[in-house]
Amino acid sequence: MTVQDLIEKLDLKVLVEGELDREVTDCYIGDLLSWVMGRAPADSAWLTVMGNINSIAVATLADTSCIILVENAALDQEAKIKADVHGVTILQTEDNSYRLAVQIHELLS
Amino acid sequence: MRELSLNVMDVAQNSVRAEATLVLITVEESDKDDFLTITIKDNGCGMTEEQVQQVVDPFFTTRTTRKVGLGVPLFKMSAEQTGGSFSITSEVGRGTQTQARYVKSHVDMTPLGDINSTVSILIRCNPDIDFVFTRTNDNGTFTLDTRELREVLEGVSLDTPDVVEWIEQFLEEQTENICGGAKL
Repeated sequence: MTVQDLIEKLDLKVLVEGELDREVTDCYIGDLLSWVMGRAPADSAWLTVMGNINSIAVATLADTSCIILVENAALDQEAKIKADVHGVTILQTEDNSYRLAVQIHELLS
Repeated sequence: MRELSLNVMDVAQNSVRAEATLVLITVEESDKDDFLTITIKDNGCGMTEEQVQQVVDPFFTTRTTRKVGLGVPLFKMSAEQTGGSFSITSEVGRGTQTQARYVKSHVDMTPLGDINSTVSILIRCNPDIDFVFTRTNDNGTFTLDTRELREVLEGVSLDTPDVVEWIEQFLEEQTENICGGAKL
């Protein structure tokens, strides 16, 4: 499963386009950035409501495949610029974390 | 961070790395006026204006092991997400002051956590540095000043087990005095 596949199958909105052919092998949910940075698995789709510059840094550090902003959580302008620079893919959906994660589970299994 | 005391630990360690000999940690809060302020002030090597800009940028770090540094950015975010504010003022050769101001009643307020442990660990692990910890709330204020302890101790190191125990006891009693049962 690639990021591109997730976008198509889950009808996600692309806010910042990074490497869309990147593999997604796992899913992680978390909003407390200091917690997420040490725990989100590499190559996972990270579901959060935090769309600020620090989220981009966490995604870079944890090497997640993409950030998915759930419940249409907003992306800061500053964060958008940094995500562009660092090639971090940012997607958005109106679903909440639970509903989206259930669908991702279906796709990954 | 799950507790603000962890942010204090992080910033104080920056002071240690900046070769400070004196670090002032101040926690001032008021339920009446609905704020909590954390100030960490040191007499370390200080930073240029450019370096101050860099430390609040999560994509900057002085470490070579990774390309992002989130200590200060997350501290800043914790204050701003309560509707508070964050500032760093620094002067090369003079030192640095980091201050985070919180709106205490905000739902996204991170608990202060175990600030006493943070202070006692900092003292124990850096026995050659002086720390002044002051905590103030609506009920009163107290201060632990290791310079005063040193005078009384006459050469006994601050990381001596008996001294560490005394410090922990002192902090606990003083906190009890102004915070009552609800220490955190």
